Amino acid sequence: MNERLEYWVKIPVGPIHPALEEPEKFIITLDGERIINVDVKLGYNLRGIEWIAMRRNWIQVLYLVERICGICSFSHNHTYSRAVEEMAGIEVPERAEYIRAIFGELERVHSHLLNLGVAGHAIGYDTVLHLTWLARERVMDILEAMGGNRVNYAINMIGGVRRDLEEKHRRMLLDMVKYYREEVMPKIEEIFLYDPTIEARLRDAGVIPKRIAIEYSAQGPTARGSGVKKDVRYNEKLGVYPDLGVKPITPKEFTGVIKGDVFDRMVVRVGELWQSLDIIEHALDQMPEGKIKAFAKDNMVIFKLKKAEGEGIGRYEAPRGELLHYVRAEKGRDGPAKWKAREPTFPNLFAVARALVGEQVADIPVAIASIDPCLSCTDRVAIVDAETGKKKILTEEDLLRESYKKTKEINPKLKIKPERIGVGCMRGGVL
Amino acid sequence: MNLLYATLSLILAYFYVSIASLLWEGIDRKLVARMQRRVGPPLLQPFYDFLKLASKESIIPRNAGKLFELAPVFVLAVSIALLAYTPFGFTPLFSTKGDVIVFIYLLTLIGFIRVLGAINSGSPYAQIGAQREMVILVSREVPMMLGLFAILWRLSKLGVSKPFSMATFYEHNIWEIGTPLSFIGTTILLLVFLAWLASEIEVGYFNIPEAEEEIAEGPMAEYSGRHLALFKLSNSLKEFISASLVVAIFFPWGIGSVLGLTGVAALIVDVIFHTLKVFAVLFISMSVFRAITGRLRITQAAQAFWLRTLPAAILGALLLAIDILEVIA
Repeated sequence: MNERLEYWVKIPVGPIHPALEEPEKFIITLDGERIINVDVKLGYNLRGIEWIAMRRNWIQVLYLVERICGICSFSHNHTYSRAVEEMAGIEVPERAEYIRAIFGELERVHSHLLNLGVAGHAIGYDTVLHLTWLARERVMDILEAMGGNRVNYAINMIGGVRRDLEEKHRRMLLDMVKYYREEVMPKIEEIFLYDPTIEARLRDAGVIPKRIAIEYSAQGPTARGSGVKKDVRYNEKLGVYPDLGVKPITPKEFTGVIKGDVFDRMVVRVGELWQSLDIIEHALDQMPEGKIKAFAKDNMVIFKLKKAEGEGIGRYEAPRGELLHYVRAEKGRDGPAKWKAREPTFPNLFAVARALVGEQVADIPVAIASIDPCLSCTDRVAIVDAETGKKKILTEEDLLRESYKKTKEINPKLKIKPERIGVGCMRGGVL
Repeated sequence: MNLLYATLSLILAYFYVSIASLLWEGIDRKLVARMQRRVGPPLLQPFYDFLKLASKESIIPRNAGKLFELAPVFVLAVSIALLAYTPFGFTPLFSTKGDVIVFIYLLTLIGFIRVLGAINSGSPYAQIGAQREMVILVSREVPMMLGLFAILWRLSKLGVSKPFSMATFYEHNIWEIGTPLSFIGTTILLLVFLAWLASEIEVGYFNIPEAEEEIAEGPMAEYSGRHLALFKLSNSLKEFISASLVVAIFFPWGIGSVLGLTGVAALIVDVIFHTLKVFAVLFISMSVFRAITGRLRITQAAQAFWLRTLPAAILGALLLAIDILEVIA
């Protein structure tokens, strides 16, 4: 084994690489085309969102969490609302829950269509990318018409939703469901279930066995593609979802086998597109009349939450997997004392890194795309001296010191003292 | 034909093919864009790209060797040399006995020099791209050469002045034998050649060495500015030249003599007709193929060549051979 070592090559995939949508880094050890080891490096996307959140009030955080990620903008703010509602014991009107469900499924449709296109692009099948993204325009238009924006529709409010669903929206939604059922989905199924190129490239690539999926706690389509029946909407009987007939989709219903490869993950997404369309229809049928908010005005929310105390956890099945938000409130404080979000990408990323070992270089982009990665955490910067190759890791304190130095430079009159807030990241030391 | 005249015609051919092949790039991009329901870039975009790249600074990596800078020049030089042996609807400019072998040699040399340049760039992505290019190179040439030589051998039996030369195709063409076996054999070989053409210009299934999403354009990863411009131009030339070979073998008919033209007028008409045929072949092997397929893994591509295309080429060659023995009438 040791004498082979000299033929191994380490190549970086990332932080900036055509295969990746967001900055992340995989250091890949190669033996020819075969992957020996995958090392995941995170931390190129730090924006200090948690730090900012603890300086905002409860309502402002809603809009902040929406901007964690462009695709899951509804999921984050829904989960955060759930966490706060659980913490303060706020009852959400039933109509609001149905509207949330409809928006959640619309978001799932556009997120899955996006990911199916990205998977096509990762294997150089650009026609799939362009056509799925063209089909995605319809749902984006609907979201714009209903929420006012294509991406950040800001529909949630603590204790309800901000906009009601009108009759014209209902008609638009039914039209959209019909369009997707009749025109888009047959084509999508033909591509992702029967196309020879897709089958050749996606079958048996990046296999995550069921055991690994459970051990690494994979989430969402990544887990369901490996045969783990895991869907928070179903397992936790979340909100009104049990009435809407949610059940975890596994590839078994479509292809009859569960292999846990990239193909299966894509099949799960195709199945969930069908399910989302069903859920939207059911929700429109079953939606009761009534209030859409627990509180008439936003300042009443703040007033109520200022008195609240304790902690709450919100869970929701985002398009990429289970999303979890934790909040802790203190009396007299109008914002969260602690807020933490756990994205499903984090466990999925390590599961897929494990799955890549033994595969080929060609499988890297498509395997990474198959978990639909969405990155936003960690707090370190490494400075590498190009001349000597020496690394220096800047911690939060160093960064603060540097920032203050720069601020002093720009504005020497400013009187500030370096002050470190929070405990920083416990992980790391090694980069 | 004196030397001055030959040189002038080579320069003329170079300018003509450069413009025609870059124009084809533009047409191809537009056509594929329409297939993907996009608007696509302007028709002349490849010209703008070329001019812009040619005017930009070229960044040389610190670890790059001398061949890194020389490779684009060599590739273009080889492409131009190839033009002397490329059939443009009539016998090539420097036609000699056995010029088909020179043609294949020069065509392979382009890939080889690209590999040399990539290895000298010092980039790990380029290294992987170079490895892939070599694998594809050795896999694709075998079925192509088998098919080509089978056809040439069959044609030489009809009696030609210079066997194993490009001129053969314009004296007799393979379809005029007319027996059912030769017809089936030729059709199989045509498919082999279309697959070879797709892998030669690296599109669709065979866009493996330059896989953009995997290894960031592979051998081209470190090239920029003028060097990249030279590569782009020679790639376009290569597309046209490889398609010209397929056209010359399977669709050599000219319309100059049909229209009753002679001299320079017939030449011009034949060249334009040849260009249209090249575009038609490229449309099938490049635009459509690119739009309806994705990229294979390198192992799958090598398997496709050794297990599918090579047996097909052997079958086609055998059919042609059986045909000439007249065992089955």
